[in-house]
Amino acid sequence: MPIKQDALWYKDSIIYQAHVRAFFDSNGDGVGDFKGLEQKLDYLEELGINAIWLMPFFPSPLRDDGYDISDYRSVHGSYGTLEDFQDFLESAHRRQIRVIIEMVLNHTSDQHPWFQESRSSQDNPRRDWYVWSDTDTRYQGTRINFLDTELSNWAWDPVSKSYYWHRFFSHQPDLNYDNPAVREEMWGVMKFWLDMGVDGFRLDAVPYLVEREGTSCENLPETHAIIKDLRRRLDEQYPGKMLLAEANQWPADLRPYFADGDEFHMAFHFPLMPRMFMAVKLEDRKPITEILRQTPEIPPNCQWCLFLRNHDELTLEMLSDIERSFMNDSYAQDKSMRINLGIRRRLAPLLENDRRRIDLMNAILMSMPGTPSIYYGDEIGMGDNINLGDRNGVRTPMQWTGGWNAGFSATEAEKLYAPLIQDPVYGYPAVNVVSQKRTSHSLLNWMASLIAVRKSSRVFGSGSIQFLYPVNHRILAYVRQLDKETVLVVNNLSSAAQAVELDLREYKGNILIEMFGKNVFPRVGDLPYLLTLGPYQFYWFRLRKM
Amino acid sequence: MRDMIVSELTQAIQQFSRGFAHILPRIIVMAVIALVGWLAAYLARALLRSILRLIKFDRLSESAGASVLLTKAGLPQATELLSQLGFAITWMVFILLGVSVLGILGVQELITNLFQFLPRLFAGLLIIFVGLLTASFFSRATLLAAVNANLPSPRLLSTAVRAILIVFVLSMFFEELGVGEQTMLLAFGIAFGAAMLGLAIAFGAGGRNLAQRFLESRLSPDNDDDGRKDEFSPL
Amino acid sequence: MKKSKAENDEVLSDEFLRQLMGVGEVDIVVGLPTHNNAATIGPVIEAIQGGLLAFFPRERAVIINADGGSRDGTPDLVVNAAIDDVGRGSKIYALRTLHAISTEYASTPARGTALRAILAAAELLRAKACIILSPESTQLKADSIASLLRPIYSEGFDLVLPTYARHRFDGLLLTNLLYPMTRALYGLRIREPHALDFAFSGKLGDQFLSQNPWDDETARAGSESRFTLSAIAGGYRICQSFLGNREHIERRTADLVPALRQTVAPLFSFVHSTAPVWRGRLGSELIPTTGPDREFTREPLRINRKRLLGMFVSGVAELESIFRSILTVPTLERLQEIARLDEAQFCYSEELWVKTVYEFAAAYHKSVISRDHILQALAPLFRGRALTFLLQNNQGSSDDVVNNIETLCLEFERLKPYLLEKMEL
Repeated sequence: MPIKQDALWYKDSIIYQAHVRAFFDSNGDGVGDFKGLEQKLDYLEELGINAIWLMPFFPSPLRDDGYDISDYRSVHGSYGTLEDFQDFLESAHRRQIRVIIEMVLNHTSDQHPWFQESRSSQDNPRRDWYVWSDTDTRYQGTRINFLDTELSNWAWDPVSKSYYWHRFFSHQPDLNYDNPAVREEMWGVMKFWLDMGVDGFRLDAVPYLVEREGTSCENLPETHAIIKDLRRRLDEQYPGKMLLAEANQWPADLRPYFADGDEFHMAFHFPLMPRMFMAVKLEDRKPITEILRQTPEIPPNCQWCLFLRNHDELTLEMLSDIERSFMNDSYAQDKSMRINLGIRRRLAPLLENDRRRIDLMNAILMSMPGTPSIYYGDEIGMGDNINLGDRNGVRTPMQWTGGWNAGFSATEAEKLYAPLIQDPVYGYPAVNVVSQKRTSHSLLNWMASLIAVRKSSRVFGSGSIQFLYPVNHRILAYVRQLDKETVLVVNNLSSAAQAVELDLREYKGNILIEMFGKNVFPRVGDLPYLLTLGPYQFYWFRLRKM
Repeated sequence: MRDMIVSELTQAIQQFSRGFAHILPRIIVMAVIALVGWLAAYLARALLRSILRLIKFDRLSESAGASVLLTKAGLPQATELLSQLGFAITWMVFILLGVSVLGILGVQELITNLFQFLPRLFAGLLIIFVGLLTASFFSRATLLAAVNANLPSPRLLSTAVRAILIVFVLSMFFEELGVGEQTMLLAFGIAFGAAMLGLAIAFGAGGRNLAQRFLESRLSPDNDDDGRKDEFSPL
Repeated sequence: MKKSKAENDEVLSDEFLRQLMGVGEVDIVVGLPTHNNAATIGPVIEAIQGGLLAFFPRERAVIINADGGSRDGTPDLVVNAAIDDVGRGSKIYALRTLHAISTEYASTPARGTALRAILAAAELLRAKACIILSPESTQLKADSIASLLRPIYSEGFDLVLPTYARHRFDGLLLTNLLYPMTRALYGLRIREPHALDFAFSGKLGDQFLSQNPWDDETARAGSESRFTLSAIAGGYRICQSFLGNREHIERRTADLVPALRQTVAPLFSFVHSTAPVWRGRLGSELIPTTGPDREFTREPLRINRKRLLGMFVSGVAELESIFRSILTVPTLERLQEIARLDEAQFCYSEELWVKTVYEFAAAYHKSVISRDHILQALAPLFRGRALTFLLQNNQGSSDDVVNNIETLCLEFERLKPYLLEKMEL
């Protein structure tokens, strides 16, 4: 059955971020592949997600987990073939699951043939496909993204005896978007995958496409022009497809990426994510309400993408020094957990495996205005291994069973692309899909029911949000509205029971129906509406006038 | 004639003897009651003395200023005085009881009236005592306040307050006893009014300058004689 | 009907309780008792905000204003100091919400009641550390808040009292009676036993709240002094922190009697009840102090010496009958002797003053007359002692002043057995 056409499908999606390599190994080589991923689509369908975002699966030396691409029009041999991908895509669509793939526009691997050609000589036709300089003094003051490993945004190439620009690892030279040929080629790459049927692209590292002297080399007007052009072509030739921006910026700086609804369809709300963790630790809603108050309105056909965790470190870039210090002391007391300006841990370990907090954070994620993205493994509370270096500790094999290799692969454990999590708390014997499917109140089943309730109403994806500001600052309460539908969300951010009086006079006469148990709560009257919540408890109420 | 005299005498003596024989038991009863009364009065005095010593009544009366008055009057101190009074009253009660046994017309009525008067007497004495205590407290308070406010003639003010209160207490006392009530009330009213009028005239006419200085000191900042502002600050 | 003020025995009105529920558990309470302090409270609030945000940014804190019926908008100024997400227009950044709430505990000011309300609130909110500040302490800075709170929060002290730079003649009751007598009795050199800016642990606050006889008006009036004395008697850890220049606050001379009620009455009350604590103590010791123990400022201060002498002489003469109930005959005779001296020769010696104070303390304990009258009777005698202090220290250096105060303190210590004898202990 072909996938249902809906121009705004991304506004009501639940996105599941997965790495092919980590999901399921079908051929016993120790590495996940597309055939394996296809086999697990039923699991994802049962979970309730309706879009899957795949991390890079292109041919790559894998020095940055696939974000260093050496061939844009193929599939890495470890993950299968283009045909395998095609089969997977069709299977996903049959289950009404859309597929979003990575598109790393900003840079390639230094092993990419384009770079090999570009560096070979000054006269090579592709010389200008990258940003070269005789000195490393251009674009002074541009911030370095990977502070832990890079000392400069310029790297010396001994082959061409000149410097090349890289905003990430030195083995990831930046493409030169001032060159029309580059722009055309990248559009060509996108067309290739669009023709195959993918539903959208997550454009990695978009703020850095263009450099200009005397600027921060981020978010430049020229970059926006490039995106606009891509979007125009997309809408003309492939309507209903989606562009998702990865731009770690303040909300005000992110807003231009939506433009007038003619650039990106979606963008990750990076500043909100660490503040959710901060709010739960402080037991104070202030960080969340303040950042959302600073978040500008976006065009009606655009959407924020919200997340708790992903494949990267929990970035603290968009925090002040005092906030960052607080987050590090609260969530990464062990300095080896810190990388760049972030914390490389998974959701469950960050929240000390406290089921109540995990539930609460997911509930907030699912009820805030935006499209939620769930990182693979977080739906069962997988742990991490910070000893694996870089951010690989949060990219370990999916834990399907408590048995051989967690049911991930039939090969020997030593051949796995990465070791399994084995500690007694998070290890696969304790945390795995099979055992959680058998437990009615497991995190997995709870996540499925949460997603189901979320999907029962479009108000969460497309509705407005109005914060209530009860005196009790430990309560985060807001009203979501879409047309005639109104949902009240009340979250207790505190580890202790709380009482709260909500000013609901605007909704006087409505009865509250709790959306999980469908039980009726008292009608709203003139007096403040009193609710009591247990530690980390939340309510979603549908308001009905009856 | 001699026989008539002897016969009349004999008759008189017999009548007297009969009368005496008739009243003698009552006299004996009266004497017994009086004796018992003396014993009771003795015990009462001892008991009263003990209780008053226990509650340090002498100190209380000293605070009330009663001790001074008693000493000046040549009377014993409060505890002893009250003990003796207790003795006297108790014995008198018994004696009166004894007298009433005699059955003499008119005396009983007198005794009854006396017994009805006693509670009012006690109430009056209590009024006096509490009044003296209060007068003493307020006069001392006035004295201290006047001294600390640097008012002129603090002792005069204090004495005036005490005097007014004592006069008030006395008028209440006499009102309680029912002795010349209206006269006492009127006398108090006249005295009080006259005192106030006198003070007003004295203060207004004779104490014009004093009043002016007094008002200045209350309403304007504290200045010394050189007109400089006083910045004395205890804390 | 909605209650806005506390009624009967309720310290926390319904409205205040509702506000406290909204605040929830905190780490730090900052208490501000006020009454028509709009003119001076601005800098104090700035110091509080600056201190908390700079030195305790992660701690949960609340500013609690206990107001005694202000008509100049003081409570609104305090409430607007909150930093939260309601959008009061504050541009100050804070990691977490800084609450500011206010309650009107009475329509007329009473510091003791204000303190009680703040203590009750602190107990309910389970505060670890509390700080009480005077709304007139405009000299406070952000570091002052830190220097008061840090010993409690990080170093385990229970009570932090202030020290100030004052004029040598400011606070004569402190230098001539409260400090030396507290030092002599309890062996601790506490400069400001009656403090308006101080900090304490939640534990000490709870204990004082439960044990102070709040129904007794005298006890309520002297709450600050009683607080310090309770901490001393209870063996709590006490230290001092320097808070800068103490602004001279103009007061009328009539304020001496209320000052005696607030400070000397509690001290005298505690003398008997804490006798087991101080009876055996000899000498005195310094307590941990951050910053200078004592400093003298140089700005001029005008005091009417003639008036002091006049009131002393008048007091000795007019109150003779009262003094006969309080003082011994020799003491009274010596007072009468010095009352005949002119200003040039006047000298209320340390020994005589100490004996006077101790005899008053004994009389207070025995309630020879009304205790309040005993205190009032002390006022003119204190003026005489103040005059001697002025004459002694007018020309000397700061060191001379320090030495003279030390001499007085040693005299208080030396005559401690005399106090014991007078109190029949």
